[in-house]
Amino acid sequence: MAETRLDASPCIYLNNAATTWPKPETVLAEVEKCLRSPVFEHGRSTLGGATDYPEETRSALAGFFHAEKPDHFIFTSNATDALNILIHGFAKNAGAPFHAITTELDHNSMLRPLHTLKAEKKISLDIVPFTDNRIGLAAIKKAIRPETRLVAMTHGSNVLGSVQDLKPIAEYLAANEIFLIADGAQTAGHIPVDLTDIPVDAFAFTGHKALFGIAGSGGFYLRDPEKVAITKQGGTGTDSKSPFQPAEMPTRFEAGTPGYPGIASLLAGVRFIESVGIKEIKRKGNELSRQFIAELAKAKNIEVYNKNPELPIVSFNIRGLDNDEAGFILAKAYSIITRTGLHCAPLVHERIDGGKGCVRASFSWFNTPEECRVATSAILEVAEQCAS
Amino acid sequence: MRIVKSVQTKVCVDGSLMKEFVLDEPLSPEFLQFLAEFGPVRTMELSGKPYFSFEKELFVSIKGFAGDTSVEVRYRKEYQDLTADYFHLLLHYCREGRPGIEKMKGIEESIAGKIKTRRAVT
Repeated sequence: MAETRLDASPCIYLNNAATTWPKPETVLAEVEKCLRSPVFEHGRSTLGGATDYPEETRSALAGFFHAEKPDHFIFTSNATDALNILIHGFAKNAGAPFHAITTELDHNSMLRPLHTLKAEKKISLDIVPFTDNRIGLAAIKKAIRPETRLVAMTHGSNVLGSVQDLKPIAEYLAANEIFLIADGAQTAGHIPVDLTDIPVDAFAFTGHKALFGIAGSGGFYLRDPEKVAITKQGGTGTDSKSPFQPAEMPTRFEAGTPGYPGIASLLAGVRFIESVGIKEIKRKGNELSRQFIAELAKAKNIEVYNKNPELPIVSFNIRGLDNDEAGFILAKAYSIITRTGLHCAPLVHERIDGGKGCVRASFSWFNTPEECRVATSAILEVAEQCAS
Repeated sequence: MRIVKSVQTKVCVDGSLMKEFVLDEPLSPEFLQFLAEFGPVRTMELSGKPYFSFEKELFVSIKGFAGDTSVEVRYRKEYQDLTADYFHLLLHYCREGRPGIEKMKGIEESIAGKIKTRRAVT
């Protein structure tokens, strides 16, 4: 069963695609427990008997994502950090300039590292356009060249809430020896992700969104570590005489003291999701989105850009009202928190709203149909005022 | 009315600079009337709160709620240096009533001239 909120919320929080709030009580308790205890650090402490958060969390993540090797989960500070390690590490390992592909749906966490590599003349880059809010295998295939070595793409759009069918893409790329990095920042925790079934080479996720962890937590799963060069070096608490970073997982990609409270929050977050059931979370998210979209459809001057999202994200604009102004009004007059602007995904907005941005409402397990009713009623009132 | 502090600054999608100011007293209907002398003021009654927005092309846009002590002001990227004091001056001259309008219009004309010169150069 889901837990109830700890506090009487002063606002309706619909900015969960940025960071989920509130967090489950078990997450808060686990973080507090972690902070109140001396840290159990492999190779860095003589303490015994305490919770080994990194190891337990790796096991929990392996179970949650149906991955074979817990040690192939690497902790980072967020999905952006994970994608940077993967993209730059892959490029360093691949050596000679190669061709890479990304998509219009992608976030700056993917676009900026790729554009940086392009500016450094280490890669050439193609950006695949979306159709019906999605990217399919056919579009990817069209962009592939003989020198293509990397496809780096989002699993779920943070603006349109669409989920890409990664399995056929991953299978095709694997057969053609093209490395696939998937950005699961928006999907991890919202929908079932089976990394045994979907043969992606690397899957990045963040803790602070649907996994209910705290900000500063995240990671990635990497199938074959040899494909990604080490780009960070430092203390690991192991093999300390060696002047070089250990090649073994997970220390290959983890230098320095880990963010234990974040890792503890990730552990509790995954356990919370499992206690509710990921399918139940997905069902509720879809129900809230459908309700929200159906209500907004009552106003002729509201444009919804994603009428069939698979993730609990609804993006819209009120005609005649700047998105920033709409977000301001909703926050100040109705205590409804959304996110406005480009959502760090400029290419999506170029397509849907001419690059001006929109208002995004995004839900978590803790939102209720009543909150959706109140929020949509407020939006309709604003839209009515704008129409008159 | 005076600005007590600036609580938030962010760069908007179009590159403009947004600042949220806290005032020492609530925004008054008189201020909105004063504002209307310099450009269109859009008003809406929302959830019982009187929302307003003011747009002075190339200068600033201002939005908030009458009766609130906080207000958001957005400055166009290209002319931020010329318009940085515009909102402060509006608050200042509002206190003077009709003579304040005349003084403010003079200042506005001077800023508009500088903007025009810069636009001609670029």
